[in-house]
Amino acid sequence: MTHQFPIKSETSKKLWSNFERELNHKLAPLSVSEKDDIKMEILSHLYESALNDGAESEEKRIINAIDRLGEPDLYLTPLISDILHAQSVAKGHPKAILKSLLQITQKSLLHLSLTAIFGFGYFISFIFFIMGIMHIFNPEVGIWLDNNGGLLSLSFSHQDHATQWLPAQFSFIAILASVFAYWGLSKLLYLLFFKPNFNKQSSY
Amino acid sequence: MYIVLLCRHDYIIKDNCAMLSDQIIDRWLPQFRKGLLEFIILLKLKQNMSYGYEIASEIKNLTSIEVAEGTLYPLLNRLKRDGLVQTEWKTAEVGTPRKYYQITDAGIETLDKMKVIWTNTHSSVLKMVMQS
Repeated sequence: MTHQFPIKSETSKKLWSNFERELNHKLAPLSVSEKDDIKMEILSHLYESALNDGAESEEKRIINAIDRLGEPDLYLTPLISDILHAQSVAKGHPKAILKSLLQITQKSLLHLSLTAIFGFGYFISFIFFIMGIMHIFNPEVGIWLDNNGGLLSLSFSHQDHATQWLPAQFSFIAILASVFAYWGLSKLLYLLFFKPNFNKQSSY
Repeated sequence: MYIVLLCRHDYIIKDNCAMLSDQIIDRWLPQFRKGLLEFIILLKLKQNMSYGYEIASEIKNLTSIEVAEGTLYPLLNRLKRDGLVQTEWKTAEVGTPRKYYQITDAGIETLDKMKVIWTNTHSSVLKMVMQS
């Protein structure tokens, strides 16, 4: 990457590549594109900062610039954890989802309502998944339709005056639907609260 | 002897008080700066699009806030994630690639609300500071 940042002396090149190696190591948990994006931004900052430094030698200018940036852990740790958290939500990790829901709740009444809706959605998909598994061992677990009014109810036991809805396919449908619902809700949660509106990238 | 002990005791209490207030300031300052920096960054980006190094330099030149320049990046990332700014890579005249940040409509709307809160809070806090 040094070809994008012309550095003359050998000592400066060593300093630069050591810093770049440290960035690579610390940014390892991120995807290649995220890693390259952040690394390029930090190195670009470092180069301009060194370029505008008053010190005589190039090495000293780079050392000063690294010093002004601060300890890499100080800025990379929150940056990485923010990005990973957003990615975990998108992937549907339960712990990350719970954390996000709690964060959203703290924001406003509208967010509180959304949390209730999302929470209910996750709850239903979880119940459906459990019922799908239970139906394999106990065929009475499922959706029952009332014979008179056609009312629908989820039940764990036989219902009088009611007909079970698709008893043969219930496990398959319930497990598949709950997995899709969980995935869909996680995607929606990510799109609503974590994905930036715009991210234009031109080549560098 | 008694006087000496009393004086030492008083000295220790004062020393502890100073340490305690330093600890409280250490805890309070990052929170205070974080909120203030988000506001300053949006103000700067409202004037024109900018990149990390330029934003850091202007903050240093225009305010007395001393921050490690790298700590701006988690803030900028959060502003981007919240949709208040958008980014674009451009290559500078000197050949350095720069990631430019530009304020979005949501960012302008948020900044307007921040300005109102800032104006109201600033005048009332200033009044309280003058009275204290």
